[in-house]
Amino acid sequence: MLKSQEIIREAAMSASKALSKLTDVPVAVGIHQSNLLSVKNLQPGLNPEELVVGIYLPVAGEILGGALLAIPKKDAFMLSDLLGGKDSGTTRKLNELDISALKEVGNIVCGTYFSVLANKMKIRIIEQLPNYSYDMFGAIVSQILADLTQTAGKALFVEMEFVFSPIFFRAYYLLFLNSSELEELL
Amino acid sequence: MGAVAVARPPDNLTASAIGSCVVTILYDPASRIGAMAHAMLPSYSGAKEHESQDTKYMDAAIDEMIKKMVTQGAIKGNLEARLVGGANMFPKLKSYIGRDNVLSAKKKLEEEGIEIVGECVGGSVGRSVEFSVASGIVTVTTKF
Repeated sequence: MLKSQEIIREAAMSASKALSKLTDVPVAVGIHQSNLLSVKNLQPGLNPEELVVGIYLPVAGEILGGALLAIPKKDAFMLSDLLGGKDSGTTRKLNELDISALKEVGNIVCGTYFSVLANKMKIRIIEQLPNYSYDMFGAIVSQILADLTQTAGKALFVEMEFVFSPIFFRAYYLLFLNSSELEELL
Repeated sequence: MGAVAVARPPDNLTASAIGSCVVTILYDPASRIGAMAHAMLPSYSGAKEHESQDTKYMDAAIDEMIKKMVTQGAIKGNLEARLVGGANMFPKLKSYIGRDNVLSAKKKLEEEGIEIVGECVGGSVGRSVEFSVASGIVTVTTKF
């Protein structure tokens, strides 16, 4: 199995456990596809104008970079209903509580990938605070690219779904890295 | 990103999902030649030598726009500029890339003697822009 696939699988399992604990219901994290993309010509396969909730977790330590969890608007609103214990279709606008809960989901998913990477590479990765944005996918990603473009070479793109049976939500995970060792690992 | 385009009426030039990037629009009202550049980074001064003409950098993009416009018949002295973008999409993140992009574009335009006649920059919102080369009208939209 490719190392990147192994990392994605392990991270998805860890995220499933952590999200189940957070929500108190069984959660499965499924992976639809994953690709290792060049940062210079990043085309992650999501409409740049699509409205998404973006949770960005920058990291420091022995590697620099960050991870973004992008959840399309419709899925983010449905997820907020579920996380807030609201009736389905209730969320029309995200309030502070919804944002806080979505940030926690982003923190968990992005954090699990970094934990798996740190364990595999036997390095220390220092996670910083999660940052929230709600806007067009392309506008959010381009800022991360601009911040990291001088150093980041590759991005790992993962299309995933969270299954809170029988409901499921789409989400997109992007991991930006600047370490050549890490590129080799992936 | 890094795209530079020149057009004449009846064409429109567009750019979508602009975050911290800055879109520079140049227009010669006399010849009705317009150009748009979507640059991502402030300046190529810190770039590697082989990247120095890469139009993902603000100054290189503006140089390229002027060159292409003049080649097609625009008069440099007629040019006027508009700027769109330069946001910080994560307001709580200490990122200055959007601000630096705007400052770099303004500095370069001043050096070239091109007046900025309009701008919609900063803040923390993504923007899309459409430029009608026929009328010179620039329309900026957001999702909110």
